[in-house]
Amino acid sequence: MYKMDKPSSGMSKVGTRSTASLPPDPVDIIRRMSCCRRVRLNVGGLPHEVLWRTLDRLPRTRLGKLRDCKTHEALMDICDDYNLEDNEYFFDRHPGAFTSILNFYRTGKLHMMEEMCALSFSQELDYWGVDEIYLESCCQARYHQKKEQMNEELRREADTLKDREGEEFDNTCCSEKRKKLWDLLEKPGSSVAAKILAIISILFIVLSTIALSLNTLPELQEIDEFGQSTDNPQLAHVEAVCIAWFTMEYLLRFLSAPNKWKFFKGPLNVIDLLAILPYYVTIFLTESNKSVLQFQNVRRVVQIFRIMRILRILKLARHSTGLQSLGFTLRRSYNELGLLILFLAMGIMIFSSLVFFAEKDEDDTKFKSIPASFWWATITMTTVGYGDIYPKTLLGKIVGGLCCIAGVLVIALPIPIIVNNFSEFYKEQKRQEKAIKRREALERAKRNGSIISMNIRDAFSRGAELLDVVVMEKGEKPQDNHLSPSRWKWSSKRDPSDTSSNRSFNPEQGSPSKARASSPQRLNAQKLEEMYNQMTKTQSQPNLNTKDRSSSRAGGRRDEIELGTLPGQRNDALGGRETVVDMKSLSSIDSYISCATDFQENPRFPYSPAGGLSFPEGSRFSHSLGMGFSARVSANPSLQTTMEHGSMLTPPCSAAKPLDTEGPHQQGVNLVKTRSLRVNYRGCGESSPASGLLSDSSAPSDRSLLSPEVSIYTTASSRTPPKTPEGVALTPTVFTFHDASISRYIDADTDDEEHLRDSCPSDHLLGGLGAKPHLNSGYQGGTNHLEAAQRLLGQNCLFPLGSTPSGSHENHLVLDASGRCKGERSRPKTFDEGL
Amino acid sequence: MWDTRYANCNGSLASENTEIAVNIGGVKQVLYADVLNCYPDTRLAELAKHSSDGASDLSELCDDYDARKGEFYFDRDPNIFKCITELYYYGEVHMKKGICPMCFKKEMEFWGVDVDYLDECCRRRLNEVEGELAEIAEKVSAIVNGDENPSASMGKRCQLFLWKLMEKPESSVLARANAILSFLFILLSTVVMCVDTLPELHVYDEGGHEDPTLEYIEIVCIVWFTVEYVLRLASAPNKVRFAFSFMNMVDFLAIMPFYLVLILTHQGTAVTELASVQQAVHALHVMHLARIFKLARHSIGLQMLMHALKSSLKELAMLTVHMGMGIFLFSAVGYAVEQSHPDTLFTSIPQSFWWAIITMTTVGYGDIYPKTTLGRCNTAVSFLCGLITIMLPVHLIMTKFVFLYSKQRLLDIATKHELELLALRSKEKHMARRQKARKPIGPAASVWGGASRVPPSDTYIQLLQDGGRGPPIQICNHN
Repeated sequence: MYKMDKPSSGMSKVGTRSTASLPPDPVDIIRRMSCCRRVRLNVGGLPHEVLWRTLDRLPRTRLGKLRDCKTHEALMDICDDYNLEDNEYFFDRHPGAFTSILNFYRTGKLHMMEEMCALSFSQELDYWGVDEIYLESCCQARYHQKKEQMNEELRREADTLKDREGEEFDNTCCSEKRKKLWDLLEKPGSSVAAKILAIISILFIVLSTIALSLNTLPELQEIDEFGQSTDNPQLAHVEAVCIAWFTMEYLLRFLSAPNKWKFFKGPLNVIDLLAILPYYVTIFLTESNKSVLQFQNVRRVVQIFRIMRILRILKLARHSTGLQSLGFTLRRSYNELGLLILFLAMGIMIFSSLVFFAEKDEDDTKFKSIPASFWWATITMTTVGYGDIYPKTLLGKIVGGLCCIAGVLVIALPIPIIVNNFSEFYKEQKRQEKAIKRREALERAKRNGSIISMNIRDAFSRGAELLDVVVMEKGEKPQDNHLSPSRWKWSSKRDPSDTSSNRSFNPEQGSPSKARASSPQRLNAQKLEEMYNQMTKTQSQPNLNTKDRSSSRAGGRRDEIELGTLPGQRNDALGGRETVVDMKSLSSIDSYISCATDFQENPRFPYSPAGGLSFPEGSRFSHSLGMGFSARVSANPSLQTTMEHGSMLTPPCSAAKPLDTEGPHQQGVNLVKTRSLRVNYRGCGESSPASGLLSDSSAPSDRSLLSPEVSIYTTASSRTPPKTPEGVALTPTVFTFHDASISRYIDADTDDEEHLRDSCPSDHLLGGLGAKPHLNSGYQGGTNHLEAAQRLLGQNCLFPLGSTPSGSHENHLVLDASGRCKGERSRPKTFDEGL
Repeated sequence: MWDTRYANCNGSLASENTEIAVNIGGVKQVLYADVLNCYPDTRLAELAKHSSDGASDLSELCDDYDARKGEFYFDRDPNIFKCITELYYYGEVHMKKGICPMCFKKEMEFWGVDVDYLDECCRRRLNEVEGELAEIAEKVSAIVNGDENPSASMGKRCQLFLWKLMEKPESSVLARANAILSFLFILLSTVVMCVDTLPELHVYDEGGHEDPTLEYIEIVCIVWFTVEYVLRLASAPNKVRFAFSFMNMVDFLAIMPFYLVLILTHQGTAVTELASVQQAVHALHVMHLARIFKLARHSIGLQMLMHALKSSLKELAMLTVHMGMGIFLFSAVGYAVEQSHPDTLFTSIPQSFWWAIITMTTVGYGDIYPKTTLGRCNTAVSFLCGLITIMLPVHLIMTKFVFLYSKQRLLDIATKHELELLALRSKEKHMARRQKARKPIGPAASVWGGASRVPPSDTYIQLLQDGGRGPPIQICNHN
């Protein structure tokens, strides 16, 4: 049976000897495929049976390509799993949509299930390689309408999100305070104080409007020296207070606004400005023209501005979702409004001319001309009916009656469309508010690290263009697969068979998986696997460690550190995962950084301040930055700040930071600096555990199966004792060596960023790799056949041991090093420094 | 249960109960031949018959036959099949919710089940969708029809060009400019018509002549309309249909009065007396109104309104009847009640018709109003009744309008995509043909060329080459 599960798919290639995971022969595949006319497709658990020739009708789609697959890789590229014995192929997709798609193959007609979400259907179509244009007309209209609607909604949601994210307060003066002020003034829901402020604001608006209308009462007006009525002095005071409040509000808003120009443009703020400006203009005009105030034109201007004060009633819109929705609705349904106006205009035109021709011969008629009867037609069509003009002849009355009914009809027609728009918009607004709340909750949860895997799945289901980005970034991944913990894990499992384990280290082994990079789906799955492996590894590790350490003398102390390392590692994994999620979902550096800092601040990892693990954490953090946004590292100032932020939170990480930011470009000088830094913190952070490590070296053979940290320490210690017999004195050496190996590794890599990333599994992983071949070589008496694996390992661990050379090792190392000129160049330096 | 059914339709319980195993797209089912034989026209019944006969042409009926299991394989959708088997058990077919009716119909045709077996509730949905499709096809054909025909003569091509210029503003920039210009002329002429009635503008100079500006504008507009009409008529493929279509009638009515007046003033004075000519001219003035309706050509909303009104004649009749009843009733009551008042405004029942209309439509000019208490009560009731009688049919018309309006937008989208689809398919066909010509038996030569190497079976539908959907594709083939 050739059935294989996903995780082993990558490895099956590797372990060529194990028959269980042997990929089927191409000949076998072809034979199996051709032996049966039918094929079984299992989509999301729902079995389908279909003729091969049916699938051949659309040879360019995913299912059409299935027939042409000759090799295992090609098959795995197309389906998620297969079983040649039963001629069954498994696809991990939504079964509901697939029935429609399979029907397309059968009948040539692509229909859509009615209750299917248009977006998800379009994603399914993308996956199966069917163009949506083949949708039949009966379903197409519905599909496109739904899709457009969904897209519009998503776009608006994204807009609001962008708006919210746009409220990033740059690091100019007192951004904290400004943000608080902004929240206070703009978001009444944010706090009780903001709510109170909003209520006070509403009261002021109402008060000022009342004052404005009371002002026009003749009883309350006073006569000025020119015989003109002016404002009541008490009411003028009220007015002044209100205006002062509005002005203050506006200015505070303006000052606290993150984006001044955008604030200035906002419709609500324009209204605010219009509400306060007339007052000042009036004052200005009256003060500057006091002498000429009696002139009629100045007075008229003043009057106009006084009337414009009524605009402040629109300020209420800020405090009412309904009013805002109304505004949006009117803006959105201008089509229907235009229709309404057109209907009315045509009706008015027709009926006014008709009534004019009917009535014009009447004596003292009021329908003197067609424009004059416009008024009558308007008043009649809107069924207001003042009665100042009405037809008197019989013909005119008939026209009038028709006009009434037509008016009712014509006005009633487009209204429901507008109403529909309004209710839709209102509902959407409500829904959006909920969505924002949900998103915030989600973010909080993400920060707490509880629903990360879900986010990955979310990211999977995003659009293809995002996936492309991921593919690009993932394309580099296989190159360092040989270093990734998952590989290590696999190899450790197959430890008994030496060759297979070694092969897994071979960089060439990354290529099969790289070849599969064409399919985003598979890549993601692979990534997920890796993460999963990483996770399981970190979880499985402590058992080994603690068990082993229980016998050691300095147990208590070391246990603590091991425990510390564990969360650090998990942190590592988390960091990586977060990177993936964010690059996929948002691919915005801002959010990424915020996420990264979140993860630094994360309270779930109380161990992070501990020296030993903050390094991997820090390096992972900075490496992932480098990986995703290598080009932007220097360009983005905010990145720098976050990095500082991170280092502030985890002080020992400061050593890692310069190393990673400045990177391998300035190796020589930088190396010395970083190393010294590193040595310092290492020294202070782990001086005592180091002695414990040394003592552990008494049983080095056991360590081969141990966790990586252990093994690296054991390797180091097992070699160093002859030189520095005292534990305390040994400490710096051990760590310098260790450190040097890392920096060497970084140096050795000419293509910087990815390999900078490689340094991230850093201490324990590299150490683990380093440790094993060493032990192997010990077993097999120096006849080392580690080949490519050694290339890395040698650089990592063996170099510093050059002082105690064992012939075969040395040879390998030199060969490898010569292959990498950079590594060679920097080797002497690090070497000296290390010793 | 099946046996009893079977007994009902065939009457011979004792006949052989052959089991037929079918595999529909992976879902296996066992059916009984006698049950299937209840509907002998269907594919399954034929299958049952042939399988019992041992006939060899089974391959025509099914896609595959597994001799080992005795299983017939059909490469069809199992979900729809389940619905269709209901026919054999219950005598009627119901569409499963969510399945597109067109898809279902095709499937029914495959299984040889007549569409008549579809139950009424589901048939309505099918009809709806079919109607929609027909409309889309019509629209598409309207657009595609005008496409260039290289074999046409020079004159024909000129005619086509003119036709497109005049009738299809979306076809080119020139046509759009033409449409806008035409629209502006309509507006201008309407404004002139209104302004012309203003008494202030009718100032006569010393010679007794009016200011001729307005008249000149009017003449220019009329000339434009005339040229437009003539060009349209000349370029129309079908002159008779063109002349009697609504919009063109309106066009004709808009220009006709001007020429009539012209003829009357020049010729008429000689024949009849001046007064009657003047009267006729005045009467013809009203017909200037027709030019307002010309706007409808440029507004989809107005066309929709007309459609809605046309399709809701029943509701309009209902409105008129209700209103008429209300008017008669309330005006009579109002007249009777108001008689007690000495200086009543309700002098006669026809006089109070006016009052009734104005009250029932809630306009209320106030020229006639009741003065007695009873009359006022009557007014209140009539106002309420009027509101209800008007609003009920208006609501119906309104829903129809909204439905039409939203459907219009839907159809627009559909038509657009249908056109895209047509273009794609014809391109692919073209490509397939070309590639086939280059290498006759190329495996997977093109997307659809791949279908050519499979032997045509029953399920083999000329995939997307003749589409199967009637009108649009046929048009495509014509071209």
